[in-house]
Amino acid sequence: MVKANYMPTSLPEALGLMAEEELIPYAGGTDLMVSEAPGRDFLFLERIPELTQISQDDQYLHIGAAVTFRNILASDLTPALLREAAASIAAPAIRNTATLGGNIANASPKGDGALICWAADAQLVLAAASGQRTVDIADFYQGRGTTIRRADELLVEILLPKRWLAGASFCKVGARKALAISRVSFAGLFAAESGQIAHLAVALGAVADTVVRRPKIDAMLIGKTFSEAKAALPDYLQAWQAAIQPIRGRVSAEYRKLVCLNLIEDFLVERLSSAHNG
Amino acid sequence: MKTQLTLKLNGKTVNWEGDSSRKLLDVLRDDLGQVDVKCGCREGECGACSVLIDGLLVNSCMFAVGAVDGREVTTIEGYRDTDRFRALDKAFADVSAVQCGYCIPGMVLAAEALLAANPRPTDAEVRAAISGNLCRCTGYNAIVEAIVEASEEGEGLW
Repeated sequence: MVKANYMPTSLPEALGLMAEEELIPYAGGTDLMVSEAPGRDFLFLERIPELTQISQDDQYLHIGAAVTFRNILASDLTPALLREAAASIAAPAIRNTATLGGNIANASPKGDGALICWAADAQLVLAAASGQRTVDIADFYQGRGTTIRRADELLVEILLPKRWLAGASFCKVGARKALAISRVSFAGLFAAESGQIAHLAVALGAVADTVVRRPKIDAMLIGKTFSEAKAALPDYLQAWQAAIQPIRGRVSAEYRKLVCLNLIEDFLVERLSSAHNG
Repeated sequence: MKTQLTLKLNGKTVNWEGDSSRKLLDVLRDDLGQVDVKCGCREGECGACSVLIDGLLVNSCMFAVGAVDGREVTTIEGYRDTDRFRALDKAFADVSAVQCGYCIPGMVLAAEALLAANPRPTDAEVRAAISGNLCRCTGYNAIVEAIVEASEEGEGLW
């Protein structure tokens, strides 16, 4: 028996197929195809216009889930933070097909694109034939490789809040420059207004089963003046010290933890000593 | 259950039937006889299996064949009849950039993808463009030199 190739050209068509059959959303395939597992039913997403565009409104950058890293790099709308992370991913051939939505929905804690979305407190739009919902990225993950996405749902759009993206920093520690999966990755957002820290968001990739983001720890410094923040920095770092429980992988847990703490400290020391006190 | 799809392979229309979740690499080599596409790591680390899909460089080991439905795939065999190939071929030979040759189909297609977008690349741009293609013989300097030479000698081709 011959069946059609599942390659919808509109979102309603895709959601109809997702409601009828058990399909694996295919958004680039660069993670899915590593496993030698023939016989899977893929739903190919790259020809759905709603999923392959980048746009913006006053508050959010809207990135379609099937936008490739190549197109993220090519877009004028892409913020520097995401551009830097996208440029560090793998190599051109992989960026030509790999997508931000795939990076998020695959739920690897090492995804550099997903890390940026965590640091930026992105929201994710999940759609099904029966309706759609918007969730915080932190609520999307249940653990390594598992998410709250239902079998009939598609991740359709990533909403990146624009407000704090300007003062951001990204750092990736890998074994080499190209084709390196992160050993530790760091993204930080920092903003000052009227001499006080208005926003701080640190996210750490590749150290636990999901990206590590602790708004309560960051809240220790928010609202403080730079001199107050400098005085509180040891306590802040101590809180991170307790919060980071790294997994052991190709590199030791101790190494990952130390690198994380150093990256956080470097980021804050640099920001707090900058001449721009708001 | 089998899926039917149609692609253009090196300029010829091909109708294919099978499991659409198979790696494009395997279908090219095992079903379509396209053994010019080399299989190295099967996990996107080496670039030996690079092909062009609608002109974009792709690792065929990380691409489901179902996703090429309606697209145009170019392998080194399809590319070799072009003046652009001849310019790259001459430059690779001039600087002895080829030793065992296993990485070369991917390297040449990576060079084509680069030069089509950027006809006069710097060394650094060439290195970035081939950063997903591993060579274990000559090292990269000769390959970079060859691509730069092709871009100069092949003035007007890209």
